[in-house]
Parts: sequence; C-alpha cells; structure tokens
Amino acid sequence: MGFSEHGKQLLLPEEALYLMECGSVQVFLHDLPLSIQEGYEMFLSKDTVNLQQYQVFSHLKRLGYVVSRFDRSTVPSHYERQLNLPPERDGHGRQLKRKRSRSPSSQLPDGQGGVAGESLEMRGGETKSQRANPEDGAAGLSEPEAERMVEDVPVPSGVPERRWWVEGGADLPQSPTRPRHRGWVWETITLPDLGAHRCQPALAAPDPSLLPGRLSVGVCAMEPWLRRLNLRPERLSRRERERERSRYRRDVNDDREVRHCRSWAEYHELRRRRRNRHGRRNRPEHLWEGKVTPLLQPGQHTTAGDVLDKIGVVGASRLLDGAAGLEDSEGWKISFDVFQPDTVAEFKKSSPGKPYSRLCVCSFEGPVPDLRVLKQLAFQSGDVPVTFAVVDHGDISFYCFKDFQLPTDTSH
Amino acid sequence: MAAAGRGDAGADPASNPGTVAVCFCESTPLLWRAGDVRTARQTGVVGTLMGSLARQPRQNCRLGRPLELLREEARLLADAGRAVLLSSSRPKSTGAANPELVKQHQEQMDQSYSEQSQLAQQDKKAVLLRVMADKKQGSNQSDQALQERLLALDHGFTFPRTAMAVQLSTARAGMSYGPEELRFLAADSLSPRDERQEARYRVFRDLRRRGFYLTTGGKFGGDYLVYPGDPLRFHAHFIAICLPMDEALSLCDLLALSRLGANVKKTVLLCSPGAEPEEVLYTSLQWSGMV
Repeated sequence: MGFSEHGKQLLLPEEALYLMECGSVQVFLHDLPLSIQEGYEMFLSKDTVNLQQYQVFSHLKRLGYVVSRFDRSTVPSHYERQLNLPPERDGHGRQLKRKRSRSPSSQLPDGQGGVAGESLEMRGGETKSQRANPEDGAAGLSEPEAERMVEDVPVPSGVPERRWWVEGGADLPQSPTRPRHRGWVWETITLPDLGAHRCQPALAAPDPSLLPGRLSVGVCAMEPWLRRLNLRPERLSRRERERERSRYRRDVNDDREVRHCRSWAEYHELRRRRRNRHGRRNRPEHLWEGKVTPLLQPGQHTTAGDVLDKIGVVGASRLLDGAAGLEDSEGWKISFDVFQPDTVAEFKKSSPGKPYSRLCVCSFEGPVPDLRVLKQLAFQSGDVPVTFAVVDHGDISFYCFKDFQLPTDTSH
Repeated sequence: MAAAGRGDAGADPASNPGTVAVCFCESTPLLWRAGDVRTARQTGVVGTLMGSLARQPRQNCRLGRPLELLREEARLLADAGRAVLLSSSRPKSTGAANPELVKQHQEQMDQSYSEQSQLAQQDKKAVLLRVMADKKQGSNQSDQALQERLLALDHGFTFPRTAMAVQLSTARAGMSYGPEELRFLAADSLSPRDERQEARYRVFRDLRRRGFYLTTGGKFGGDYLVYPGDPLRFHAHFIAICLPMDEALSLCDLLALSRLGANVKKTVLLCSPGAEPEEVLYTSLQWSGMV
C-alpha cells in the first residue's frame, strides 16, 4: 500500500479510507481528525475511485488480496512479451515505465486540486501504527506526513514536460498520463521507397507528433543517400542468365512444337496431348474436366484435419481478433490489478510481477458487457484475465469470460 | 496497546428521535448513525451494511456501518416523513483551521489521556495485588519485592501518550473542520427516472404495506427478495420481479424464471403496478411437477 514521491510517503485515497475503517490510521484535516463519513465523502468521487469500486477494493483487501490501481502503461505489448526483455530499472530499483507514468504531465481542474495540499495530514505513527498489521507495516508512517491524492500532484515547472507520447494530453480529464494508443498506426506512416526508379528529390519533414521532445527535423535531401545506394543494373553470369530464362522467362513462342501449330485448334490439340502424357495418372478427365471438380488431389492432403479445414465454413476465431484497433468504450475500464493473498510475503512494490487478474467494476443495474467491450478490455489487459466485479447494493459477484475452442475430431 | 474505537457524538441537523438522516454519497443513500439504523429497522427498512466492522475489520461475513439503502427504501422513508435527505459538498482545503474547534479537540484529548492514565494505573495495581494475594503463602522476600513495586507504581507511574486509545468516529462527529455545507435535498431528487423504477417503487411500497420485509434480489435474478418477517429470522419466500404492466415477457424468460425459482425453492412473483394509484397485481410461478 502506498507509494513514495519526493521523499514522502503517500497513500492513495481508497487505501487511506480502508486503513481508516480498519482503525490503523487517523487522517487529519486542519488539525482535526476526520470521521469515516467525512472520509467517504472526501475521498470517493468519480475522479478518484467511486463508491462501487471502493466496495470491491475493500472487499478484496479484507480477504487478504493485494489490490492496486491499474496502470495501462505497465502492460507490455505482445511484441515486448515475445522479446522477453528484463524489466528496465533506474537507480532506485523502480521500473522506468512506472516512474514515467506517475508524474502527471498536465494540470487538473481546480475543483480537484483544491482539496489536496498541505492541509491534509496523517498522523499514523503517534497513536495508530502499533496495531500489528502485517501488510500495513510497509506503510511505516513514523512521522507526520502530508497526504495527497495521486492525481492532485501538480508538476513543478522545473520538470521538463514529456508529452510526446500522450495524444491530446491536455483534454483527458481522468487519465492525463495514459497514452491513447500503444502501437503505431502503420497505414498513416509512409515509408518511401528510395530504390524506385522515379525517386523524389527530397523527403518532406516528418510529423512533429512522431518526434521525441522538441526535436525538429527539416526536409531531407535525397542526393547524397542515393549516391550511396547501389543503383547500377545487375550483371549476371551466363549460368545465372540461363537459369533465369528457363525458370521465369520462358516464352511460349520459343517452343518448337508450338511454332509448328498453324491454328488454334492444333494448339489446343498439342496442349491436350502434353497434358495426357504428363498428368494422366493424376487427373482423370471425367473428374477434372467437368464443371464440378474434386476438392482435393490424392496425396495432396494427408490428415483428416487438413480435409476438415478445407470444407470448413465457419473459421476459428479468438477473443483478441481485431481487438487492436478498438477505441475505448464508454464507461468500461479496468480499475484494479489483483494479486493473490499467498504471494503477500514475496510481493514487492517495485516489481509486482504479473497480476492474478484485473478487475472491471460494474453495477448490476447497468448493461451486460458486449463483445466489443470484452475484446477491448482483454486487449488492454494483455495476457492477464479480466474479471468483472458486479456490485448489487453491497453484494459483489465476480464473473469472467473465457476463450473456448470447439473440439474438432481429428483423431485419425 | 493502542486501540481505536469507533463511535459517534454530537448533534446533527436531523436530531429528531424518529427521523433518520440519509446522507448521499454520489447518489447512493447511506445511513451513518447507529440510532438511525435501528430506527430504520423498526420501520421495516433493512438495507445492507457495507463498511468494515470496527472490532473485526478483516472479514467479510459481518460488516458494519454505513448502511446502504435502496433508492426505494430512501424514498419510502422520505415520503413517510421519517427521513431527512442530506448531501454534503466536498470541503475546500483552502479554509483555515478553526482554532476553537482545534482547542476543543485538544482539551478532549487531554482529558481522555488523564482518565486513561488513571485507569491504567489502577489496572496495574490490581494486577500486582492479585499476584500478591496468590503468593500469600510464598516467601517473604518476594512479598517485599512486590510491596516495593506497588510503592513505585504509586509514585512514578507514567502512561505513554502513544499508548492512548483514540476514538475514530464513524458518523460525522460534529467537530469538523469548518462550517459544513449540508444541502438538504428535496424529496424529488429520489423520483424515478423511468417507468421501470416507478414500477419498482410501487411494488416496494405495496409489499411493505402488507408487512413483508424486502432486500435486494440480485443474487437470485430478481428485483427483490421478499421475507415474511425480519430477514435475520426467516428465509425468503418470494423473488419479486417488477415489470410495467404492458411490457411483453417472452416464454423463454418465463421458463428461465420458473426454473430458477424451483431450483432455489422460492416462489417467483411477477409484480406489475396497475391502473389505480394503489393497485399492484401479482402473479406467482411455482413448479408443481408433472400432471
């Protein structure tokens, strides 16, 4: 629980409220302690964590799970997973990605920023933290600390703003630090073909949104690069030329027998004769010359699976097909990462590892998620399953959609 | 050992004995005070507890306050005049600390500290005396040592401040940071948004009038679970599903509902508000077996 920033130990609002309810922590505002009711009213809102999400959070925390907020930038893409890179770390042992995503790059509207600030203080150490809570020992609040919510930390002007990976960074009210798209959209990026015969004299300057920082790149002249390219025509040896000719450049008219044919009818006859000579064993006429021909050639497909594939009408599809390009759906988002309780002993905030599941909180009265939402959330989550926590006035049920392949009978 | 207790104190705007203060936490009605929970139960409004239980916070079987109410329950209480609807805006942190309240709080803490240190001292003395009484037949030297310890206790006992027990209030304690802006909501903030909600409210009111207790029925696929008495003493008899009168129900849905009811041994009640203002029509589905 909790995180440290600028040398101070801070708690997220839902964590602070949970610890207040457990009786481990007392939160002070203007030197007066807050009651639980005031904590609910102050810490829960649709900008931080709403009431239903908090219900799910506290339900799981009470059972012993480790629950943290979902951060989309920490999900490795499919390619990164394939590469199996070790996680990057900076000198403090924290993942670089996490660090980047924590520093918000845009100011928030005033209503949010107004609550935070120096006036909230948590005096956990004086009276509270003697209560032995194994997981809260990590919070270790031993001196009065300022509590601020994550989103409310304004960026000091000295920090260089890194906005280039965030699209439309200023107009995302809820998640100013999360990039919209994780991958490149290849259809819009043109890679010029420099070896083509008609080459452009100069390449236009690239789109500044694709460049890091304040880099500015001008127009690129092609002359020096083209000189470095080998644009001389190929000169093949005699053997290579003959091979080319025989394999790719066989002209029909070079054939002596074809030259002997004086009409189309004779040409057809020649072709039929040749076909019968070579392919008689494989393609009997009565089968292959009609309008309806057999599906397979004997010897072409050897397993029953291949045959079934050929006659299959409905193709197999997986949940993540076509999920890459989906836009974010309204109201459906992954809220939390959940780690199992028996890993609490080995759990490290700096390297949490792969979560057990990711949670999307919804209400019983709301709509059931449709396929589009399922695909989009499964894609966002990577290889971790997504669980839907459905809240019905205090009762929480967990649902999970699993991919399933219909069994095919290919045992022979 | 430090411990924190939870309780509430102080006056709230709705301090009539028969009225409850329903506080809204972003459109969910909640009851925070213990007296309110009791009053609501006496009028037949059950609700669900959703907070951590102070004595045993790390379990999910028994939860504590706040009590979450259904919209229909809150509306019923408001219509009967038994509830005051409140919604507080988030306080501005730019406001300065109220020095009077801070002083009051400090005084309370000091008083509590002195009381607790006295009680702790008495506690320790009692322990020593009991040990002495047990060791009456023991040797004289240990008796003397114990006497010395008793004397030392009288003179030099210190109760560390960090060992003090502090009360963490559940409901708003009245000693808050500044003038709370409690907005008294009008009763029509709970008015139904569509036909289905209106149907639900009318069914709820009618069943309440007949003396049944109602809770949420989401776990059984319906709108309400209907109990003949207090839910702590009975199992639910009915699963109530509220439909507007002219809504069509397909046969597949009907079959699914009756199967569900048969499996959990409850009768499914299809409820629709009628044309008259107080009229509600009920149809029950029960699996009777093969004819």
